[in-house]
Amino acid sequence: METFVFYIFSAFMVLSALMVISVNNPVKAAFFLVLSFFASAAIWLLLEAEFLAIILVIVYVGAVMVLFLFVVMMLDINMVQIKKGFVNNLPLAVAVAIAMFATIFFVVGGESFSQSVFTIPDRHGADYSNVAELGKVLYSDYVYSFEIAAVILLVGIIAAISLTLRRRPNTRHQKIEDQIAVKSKDRLQVVKVDAQPRKYEPAKEEQK
Amino acid sequence: MLENYLPVLIFMGVGLLVGIGMTAAGLILSPHRPDREKNSPYECGFEAFEDSRMKFDVRYYLVAILFIIFDLEIAFLFPWAVVLDSIGTFGLVAMAIFLGLLVVGFIYEWKKGALEWE
Repeated sequence: METFVFYIFSAFMVLSALMVISVNNPVKAAFFLVLSFFASAAIWLLLEAEFLAIILVIVYVGAVMVLFLFVVMMLDINMVQIKKGFVNNLPLAVAVAIAMFATIFFVVGGESFSQSVFTIPDRHGADYSNVAELGKVLYSDYVYSFEIAAVILLVGIIAAISLTLRRRPNTRHQKIEDQIAVKSKDRLQVVKVDAQPRKYEPAKEEQK
Repeated sequence: MLENYLPVLIFMGVGLLVGIGMTAAGLILSPHRPDREKNSPYECGFEAFEDSRMKFDVRYYLVAILFIIFDLEIAFLFPWAVVLDSIGTFGLVAMAIFLGLLVVGFIYEWKKGALEWE
């Protein structure tokens, strides 16, 4: 049963990953990437890494892919322009792809992924909590890497702000603190005017 | 542990069947007579005047990136909350340092005006 489920989700993952690089519409490619993330989350779940699986769905599908879709939907990409020269560059692209695949295959070939290197993890009962097991080591043995993660996130915040924040002084917007702090004398000016009796001047009749 | 997730698997299977079934039924059973007006994009009753692909402000990305960072922060809070009673004061202090570092980033972001929408 588990093997069957594994092969179904692996097939989904490989097929959708193929579709990501082969469909024409970049928005559809992004949706296939979402499907491939879902399938890999299911495979992680089969390895009993439930926390990682759920975080993959929350962070990658929920946040990162929204950002991707956002970018892809709004970028003005001319697909005809991009497709130009595809046939001419194809031999070079295939050669580079084969060279990269061969390099990866000979350095970390099939032996590195065999079951002698990675043994099948022990199966646990229904009351086993992967989140609790992860928490017990993450906040005690690996606390240093945990704090480094905070520093990396801090660097991410600062980098994102310094790269993309633009001041625009010409736009009209409310300054709420100025509105609240205003005093009546800033808005209303009482001008002393001496009272003068004013003569009644009857309107001159227009003469025809 | 996996038997806890069997309902999720069944749910996914049923969802897939319903989704594919309805789309297929719509394709097979419904009459299909397209014309030029039906296929044209509909934009609130007036002629479409622009391509949907357009350049837009980079501030949207800034909001999305800041959201992802704090989303990841939340991801670290979940296992901590589950095991809080077994890791004790050490875990509490570790999380306090973690959150303290991110609060530095949050104050920077606030003071810099990255959360303002001018």
